[in-house]
Amino acid sequence: MPALDRRQLCVAMLALAGVRSAHAAFGFDELMATLAQRRSGEARFDEERFVSGLDQTLRSSGTLSFSAPDRLVRQTLKPRSESFIVEGNQLTLQRGDRVRRLALDNVPELAAMVTALRGTLSGDGSALRRYFNATVEGAAARWTLTLVPVDFRLLSTVRLLRIDGMHADVRVVELQLADGDRSVTTIEPLAPAKARTATP
Amino acid sequence: MTRAPLGRSGWIGLVLWLVGVALCGWQIAHTRFSTDLSAFLPAAPDARQRVLIDQLKSGVAARTLLIGIDGGTREQRAAASRALAQRLNASGAFDQVLNGEHDALAAVGRWVFEHRYAISPAIDERRFRADGLREAIDDTLSLLGTPGGAAVKAILDRDPTGETMRIAEVAVGGGGPHSDDGIWVSRDGTRALLMVQSHADGSDLDAQARTLSVLRDAFAAAAPGLSLRMSGAPLFAVDSRAQIQSETRWLALAGSVVMGGLLLLAFASLGALAAAALPVATGVVAGIAAVSLVNGSVHGMTLGFGTTLIGEAVDYAIYYLIQAHGQAHSGDGVRAGWQHWLRSGWPTVRLGLLTSVCGFAALAFSGFPGLAQLGVFSIAGLIAAALTTRYVLTALLPQGARGVGFRHRLGRWAAAIVHHAPRARHLMSTLALAAIALIVWRHDRLWQTELSSLSPVSPQALALDAELRAELLAGDDRTLIAVRGGGDEAVLRAVEAVGARLDALAQQGRIAGYEAVTRWVPSAATQARRRAALPDSPTLQRELERATAGGSLSATRLQPFVQDVQRAREAPTVTPASLAGTAVAPLLAALWVPSGDGSTTALVPVFPATGASAESTQAAVREALRGIDGAQTLNIGDELRGLYQHYLGEAQTQALLGALAVVVLIALWLRSLPRLLAVCKPLAVAVLLVMGGFAALQAPLGILHLVGLLLVVAVGSNYALYLDMLHAQGSPDDDTLASLLLANLTTVLSFGLIAASGIPALSAIGRVVAPGALLALWLSAAYATPPQGASSTSH
Repeated sequence: MPALDRRQLCVAMLALAGVRSAHAAFGFDELMATLAQRRSGEARFDEERFVSGLDQTLRSSGTLSFSAPDRLVRQTLKPRSESFIVEGNQLTLQRGDRVRRLALDNVPELAAMVTALRGTLSGDGSALRRYFNATVEGAAARWTLTLVPVDFRLLSTVRLLRIDGMHADVRVVELQLADGDRSVTTIEPLAPAKARTATP
Repeated sequence: MTRAPLGRSGWIGLVLWLVGVALCGWQIAHTRFSTDLSAFLPAAPDARQRVLIDQLKSGVAARTLLIGIDGGTREQRAAASRALAQRLNASGAFDQVLNGEHDALAAVGRWVFEHRYAISPAIDERRFRADGLREAIDDTLSLLGTPGGAAVKAILDRDPTGETMRIAEVAVGGGGPHSDDGIWVSRDGTRALLMVQSHADGSDLDAQARTLSVLRDAFAAAAPGLSLRMSGAPLFAVDSRAQIQSETRWLALAGSVVMGGLLLLAFASLGALAAAALPVATGVVAGIAAVSLVNGSVHGMTLGFGTTLIGEAVDYAIYYLIQAHGQAHSGDGVRAGWQHWLRSGWPTVRLGLLTSVCGFAALAFSGFPGLAQLGVFSIAGLIAAALTTRYVLTALLPQGARGVGFRHRLGRWAAAIVHHAPRARHLMSTLALAAIALIVWRHDRLWQTELSSLSPVSPQALALDAELRAELLAGDDRTLIAVRGGGDEAVLRAVEAVGARLDALAQQGRIAGYEAVTRWVPSAATQARRRAALPDSPTLQRELERATAGGSLSATRLQPFVQDVQRAREAPTVTPASLAGTAVAPLLAALWVPSGDGSTTALVPVFPATGASAESTQAAVREALRGIDGAQTLNIGDELRGLYQHYLGEAQTQALLGALAVVVLIALWLRSLPRLLAVCKPLAVAVLLVMGGFAALQAPLGILHLVGLLLVVAVGSNYALYLDMLHAQGSPDDDTLASLLLANLTTVLSFGLIAASGIPALSAIGRVVAPGALLALWLSAAYATPPQGASSTSH
């Protein structure tokens, strides 16, 4: 009986240890802590959009830049110049000679999508959790963060966001829409950011 | 004492009076009584202000209700907002129900989609050539595969160039209330917000009252347990009407009871009471009839003011009833009391009447319909009351009132006042000097600056209104452009010119955006230009093939687009008239305002950039619009304040002229400078002390306080003249003094009641006249030349 007890105890301890080590290894909070270390970054991006009913995949590319806590610039260079600048609550869209300015909190769906990117880049876990159910898989060296909208309204257009990354670098953002269309954005950090996170 | 038979002149007076009352009754029976808020808005300001006033009176503003839902949880409020919107839409009582739900705009979206080639700002000749098409299609494709793509994708085959999106972008703009879970909420998220426009006209208060009860019922069913906060012109108008109705009834009743009690105490005779009521009733009837004749309709508020007339009109009866009785006993026994009174009392009453009429004549020319009505009402009412006293009371009660009651005691009290009051003379003069100092020191804060001070709406209701307005409409302190011109097309073209300048400002980020009628109805010229830019089918087909070669979207699937463009080439021009009954019509109502003279004014509200002040926005807009004829920039808050300032200034001038006329009249009558001074001094000091009191209490004075001061002069001049007359005659008799004290008591009591009214306009008058009248009597006694000095005054 005592032997059995001891064996059971061992199994239980192992199980616990396993859970604890997995948890300690990498979870949402650890990922956020890692991401929060990064204060700014520059990157190139390539985006592919797979849209049903279209003859071809839509491609675009450009640069991304982020500086904590809340400035995010997405500059599309191809196929045509277009910029998307968020700072604080203000979103500025520029296409050709047309400029539009929007307050994010007037358009909640937009606020959620901006939070997905900005919250991930700045490691703002509480902001992400306000709009999404977040799960993390993998380890610090290669992780996947999955964000599923909490709000049913947003869920009716956006099924989920899957973000792959290495350490503090975001590498791939995949957006799956409710109608089956999706986009995959591959991100290539530019030199200065790379220097800090190059060691695998 | 036998009752003297009615003489010939007595009969004539009675018959004329009966005929007059009957005629007035007939006129009143054919009178329309209004209770809307128009009496509190100026009548004929300049053209620019008229736009604003028209809006407030009968524009969209007069049909718009702002709604807040408080209490419960965030989810409960959101559900309540949706359920309420659904019920309100189903009720048919509302033209527009907005709560932030996009579905509410679905019908507008369909209309826009149908008319996109007439109203899209992007359409020019280049748009439908190969390069323009390629660019436009690329723009549209850039949205696909993003969360915003679903809407574009649904109409891709018919609108590949994204005109609908383009229109929506500008129309929705960057402003608007905050949104949470798809509905509008306050900035702090604790209140759900809605904005609705009633179908009923703003001036149809019965229909508005029904609309409000539909709304309340819908809320009770849709949101049990939550609380409804509501504001807006229709609510104010309906509530004010209810309040005015109940208050005028209450005031008339309370006034009559108090006055009746006082007169019964004084005369101990029901007959005397009935006799005293006769001039008052006649005055009220004549006043209403006169206003009806002059204005065509009578405002409910005028009836409320009518109760103020009781205070002065009853004085005439009191003077007669007491003095005629006293003189009947002390007289020579040959002549009846009324004959004595006609020689001794009547001239003073007549002079008092003339001074009052002078004072109120100033009001009759006021730009505020409410004040003008008050002026006409008071003049007609006082004249009728005085004539009734002179010709009817003298005929019915030739010896005055028989009862004794308290009048001897009143006489003794009054004599005591007259005896002791002069001792306080120096104190009063010192106080008056202090009041002058205070008034001069606080001259910049002495007067109210807001138009709302005239409004019958309570400060609490106005605070809630400001709160809801700030959330839903970015406040009232915003810039508005009014565009006028000859004919619809000219106005539309001018609005387009304004829009082009504002677009530039918006691009620079100096304004957040604007609304304009031409978003929905471009000028015919613009529509013709756009139509001319639409190619025929073969041309479009050819350009489309070139544009889509090697692209993601094949020309073959875009046949619906080609067909829609063909249809648009033949579509009729969109005009303001053609929009009637469509989903867009409610949007237009606030931007396209027909005036009474058949012309139309277009309004262009400008939304300030985040963090920009109203002044800087206005300056930027004014600068940008330089050179466009017929476009005027106004700031609603500033204009309303300016309007009020204008009318306050006008009322001040009129009050001064009125007071001057009173002085001139008294001077002509007395023909003696010392006596003139003796009469005017107490009145001036009473006015100064009341103003000083308001300044000391830091209660700013408004137009209606000014009216009150005028009344103090009008009523007070009676006291001063009587006391002057008594002193001039020698020793004041107790009966006349008793009548003065009783008249003063009735005035102070009736205005004291009005001071307690919940209607700010009424209470303002009461708060000035009640203390002012009391002071006027007291000061008249204080400054009256003592009896022993009477011989030295000129006679």
